[in-house]
Amino acid sequence: MSVQTLGWLVLLLPLTGAVLIGLTFKALPQRVHGIIGVAAIGLAFVAAVLMFFGLQDRGEEERQLVSVAWDYANTVGVDAQLAILIDPLSVLMCLVVTGVSTLIHVYSFSYMGGDRGYTRFFAYLNFFVFSMLLLVLAANFFLLIVGWAFVGAASYMLISFWYRRTTATKAGIKAFVINVAGDVGLVLGAYFIFKGTGTLDFLKNFELVGEAFTENQPELVAGCILLLVGAFAKSAQVPFHTWLPDAMEGPTPVSSLIHAATMVTAGVYLIARLHPLFEHAPDAAMVGSVVGCATLLIAATIGLVVTDLKRVIAYSTMSQIGYMIMAVSSAVYAAGMFHLMTHAFFKALLFMAAGSVISAMGGNQDLDKMGGFRKVMPFTFACMVIGGLALSGIPPFSGFFSKDEILAYMVDRGGVYLVMAILGYVGALLTAFYTFRMIFRAFFGEMSPEAEELSHGHLYHAPEPTNPANGEVEDTEVGFPGPEHHIAERAGGMKIAMGGLAVLAIVGGFLQIPGVTSELHHFLEPTFHDSELYETIHPSATAEWIGLLVGAVIGATGIFFAWTIYGKGGNAASFQARFAPIHKVFVNKWYFDEAIDFLIVRPAAWLGRFANSTFERIFVNGALVGGSTGAVRALSAAVRSLQSGYLRYYAALLLIGFSGLGAYFLISA
Amino acid sequence: MSSVFAQATTKGPPINWEALSPFIALVVGACVVLLIGLARGAFIRRQVVPVLTLITLGVTAGLGIWQWDTNEAIISGALKVDNLTLALTMIFVAGGIAATFLSWRSIATVEAGEGEYYALMLTSILGMLVLVAANDLVVLFIGFELLSIPLYVLCATHMRREQSLESGLKYLIIGSVGSATLLYGLALLYGAAGGTNYADIAAVGSAMADDVLFLTGIALVMAGLAFKASVAPFHQWTPDVYEGAPTPVTGFMAVATKAAAFGVIIRLFDVALIDATVTWAPAFATLAVITIIVGNVGAIGQSSLKRMLAYSSVAQAGYMIAGVVVTTQLGISAVVFYLAIYVVMNLGAFAVITARERETGLGDDISSLYGLGRDRPLLAWPMTISMLALAGFPVTAGFFGKIYLINAAVDNGYAWLGVAIVIGSAISLAYYLRVVAAVWMREAPATSLTLSARPIMAGGSQEADDEARAAGIEPGADTGRVIADDFAEPSIAVSGPRLSQPEVVFVAIVCSIVTIAFGVYPEPLMDVARDAGAAFSSLL
Repeated sequence: MSVQTLGWLVLLLPLTGAVLIGLTFKALPQRVHGIIGVAAIGLAFVAAVLMFFGLQDRGEEERQLVSVAWDYANTVGVDAQLAILIDPLSVLMCLVVTGVSTLIHVYSFSYMGGDRGYTRFFAYLNFFVFSMLLLVLAANFFLLIVGWAFVGAASYMLISFWYRRTTATKAGIKAFVINVAGDVGLVLGAYFIFKGTGTLDFLKNFELVGEAFTENQPELVAGCILLLVGAFAKSAQVPFHTWLPDAMEGPTPVSSLIHAATMVTAGVYLIARLHPLFEHAPDAAMVGSVVGCATLLIAATIGLVVTDLKRVIAYSTMSQIGYMIMAVSSAVYAAGMFHLMTHAFFKALLFMAAGSVISAMGGNQDLDKMGGFRKVMPFTFACMVIGGLALSGIPPFSGFFSKDEILAYMVDRGGVYLVMAILGYVGALLTAFYTFRMIFRAFFGEMSPEAEELSHGHLYHAPEPTNPANGEVEDTEVGFPGPEHHIAERAGGMKIAMGGLAVLAIVGGFLQIPGVTSELHHFLEPTFHDSELYETIHPSATAEWIGLLVGAVIGATGIFFAWTIYGKGGNAASFQARFAPIHKVFVNKWYFDEAIDFLIVRPAAWLGRFANSTFERIFVNGALVGGSTGAVRALSAAVRSLQSGYLRYYAALLLIGFSGLGAYFLISA
Repeated sequence: MSSVFAQATTKGPPINWEALSPFIALVVGACVVLLIGLARGAFIRRQVVPVLTLITLGVTAGLGIWQWDTNEAIISGALKVDNLTLALTMIFVAGGIAATFLSWRSIATVEAGEGEYYALMLTSILGMLVLVAANDLVVLFIGFELLSIPLYVLCATHMRREQSLESGLKYLIIGSVGSATLLYGLALLYGAAGGTNYADIAAVGSAMADDVLFLTGIALVMAGLAFKASVAPFHQWTPDVYEGAPTPVTGFMAVATKAAAFGVIIRLFDVALIDATVTWAPAFATLAVITIIVGNVGAIGQSSLKRMLAYSSVAQAGYMIAGVVVTTQLGISAVVFYLAIYVVMNLGAFAVITARERETGLGDDISSLYGLGRDRPLLAWPMTISMLALAGFPVTAGFFGKIYLINAAVDNGYAWLGVAIVIGSAISLAYYLRVVAAVWMREAPATSLTLSARPIMAGGSQEADDEARAAGIEPGADTGRVIADDFAEPSIAVSGPRLSQPEVVFVAIVCSIVTIAFGVYPEPLMDVARDAGAAFSSLL
């Protein structure tokens, strides 16, 4: 099969899965739907692997393929095509997305076992993967926007998956609204670019951008910043990040897949994909770097104090994506994409392990109530530690190579980027600290009652299921979490998925060992061949190793601090009291929610009320809608009254008609 | 001896029998069907005759495919066999096949005589073929009448139903007015050009551009053809005739006549009258806007589905004119594409109407669809898909049909016509979605278990019927043919008894599958349409 065919297949398989599951939801038992879901994504992964080999068989210059299925429109200068772009970057993303998705589907196959919405879950999940792949494979802005919006919709459906939980639906709405704000940015940005270059196609845009715009031309910078707004919203960067922690209301596999491994990396992908535009608008790129750097610090500080297990990992995700955004905006593409890949592995793993712990807690996510799970959940504990070490950048785990490579490259670029690199190292210290704070609190210390019960061989189930966020009483029917919980120690599917990711989190970094291997850098070269910075920013192996070692030492220090405070003999309370004012700012998440509420939500609500009471009622309802329906109704009545049923009137109208025509012709002659 | 014989005969023009073969197949088929229909056996009349009809249509289609890419004026330039003719032939054949399936169990065929019924249908298709192939004014008129006269009869084949007779008679009378108008116009064109061949007319086109008689001729021809294509203000026969005619005939008429009318409009206006484009194109564009408005607003508030579809067909004719006025190959392909999908979109709906007419006794009233979504998904989905396609929803072929038409219009300076199409489509949602709502969101009336009860009179008595139904009395129930509890528990609302009519359901399902297929992947059909457009090599 040709590479192009495989590309379409990668796209079609998850869609087929989603449609098949959706159409047969009554006809087949739910386990079969699980199998269909897993198989569809698994086959897509196989196709993506074949696509990778097909691409590698081609010459360096022939590794950017566009396959057009058909034109949607090719008129008045708009070239909207159903076309996919297959190049190393999109293939890498396809591999990561389908690969991690396959494991997460396997995990969900067990984890969601007791849920009444099992079938719906797999239909959504497959649809999400399709949307993400559409986003990744799109060869033009048009399809990118479609995929972008689909991903937002799929995310909304999955966050609000337990749709009878008020907290979940609220979180879903929040995520959707912020994402749509980003979509608007993306569409406007694409329009700015399109207006300059006159084409929607990516490759043509890259060729034409140099002629259409001068460097840092205001239109281009504005367009790129608008594109960044889209990227920030999707990738949860400051100030568009507030939806991501709330999105943890969704089932844990969703957090793992969408809000850690794939969807939130879309912004990183977007910047890397459109790098010729950003390199031509360095001012816009600088905005990306700064925002990424700010996000990585802010998120890490909030991660220090959050007491919700999944939210700790969520803030960590934000922070890590901050690294990636900073990297790709600073033209450190290969390292950014490298971190994207390793992060997908270890962050998905951390979420899965967290899901297992949450199951053992009977659905409760509060770190304050956890403790002592180390002995009773050895497998989960091992996975959590592997993920944690990778996240903290301890050798030889994957995060060690990828995160510190970003920082080493930033140092090499120098100037303001050096400052950002130093801030990145500060972030690394915080990262290691909050990661192991979470691990020490959940797995060490005194056994919680739930852990106690597990040590006697019973999995804790709450006598009456409640919403852990607000204590509302729930039932276990559809729309709420199901009656059974599953932990990795007892569910094969979860074990397989976590084991696979643990291995990847350990070995994933070996692709890029400074001075030894440079696989990813070489692989991505055809995509970035037009970038001057891709080759020029290149620290020596020694410099890189120094950077790596500094990172490792910082990571180890962070873990040590965490141990002294939260480990054996630590006194967390007094530590907290000593930094009370800062703690308060962090606990309140730097007051971003409050600021957004004050600056945007309230004025918008006021405007909405005003529009509703006056504009909508008088202009829209009265004049616009009322007027047009009135006109249609009156015309309809007129037409029907002409339709008398008498032939003589019909004939008369016929005569009038051709008299009119004749008169027109004679007058115009 | 032979030389003497040769001298005695007049030498006829050379005939390309291969290009003529689809015509011959239809003539032969119509004769055979008519003769076999005289047989006494019910099996032969009810089963063999429709099968022979299908075979005839199949052979015609096969010959058309065989002749694909011919581009030749045959019989001294009287007929033009090119890809437009052949593509439209496929459309007629598709309409004919579907109509044959829908007619299979129709009372109309029995009352009219099966042989006659199907032979008339084949003759009408032959007329359509002649019409779209016509390259000469006289041939055009022959085709026009050959198409129309069988249809007048077919409309009246439901002989025991007053409305059917009324429909046939109305069509005949008002159709004669249309034919007269057309003929008058043709005569004036002949007078201006001094020849009946399209080439003769095209040759004088620029010289006569200001000639009063020539322009009057164009106006009259335009009115006559607009009448056949149901373009407002010449559309008024459409709702009355569509409603009264037997539903299979209505379906056939709606799709095939429309295609034939547009075929001849394209050939006459884009070939013979091409030099007068500046004069007639604005007139046609104005008619298009009027048609779009009249069709769409007229369809609102109709409770008879056939009447609603009649107005809808008026509106769709307005959309298609956009493809004609731009006089480009792109425009012609857009029209051909639209005509092709128009066949499947409409026949899907007509198949469902046919099925429900037989099952509920509510006639073609919209209430016959209540409860369909729950009880009869195989009918509910085709109806839904047809309606969404007619409204131009994405993922249905109707979406691409409209896109191509708008594309053609915008590309050639008729952007405002594109806007009119969009506004028209927006209005059209009001009545298309009403049908979808009836299918999925309304419960079946509990007392609708009448089978073949006297069909209610549509039109004026509608409100009375509604009132009666609201009071719990079913119109027509007084005829005493209420089927008792054999079919369902009285407490459960069921949307009517199930009749075994697999061929009707088959047509509905095939139509909806095709609609979706071309909505997802329109390229193959568009290639055919492009070939048809490419036959007009003189255009852009």
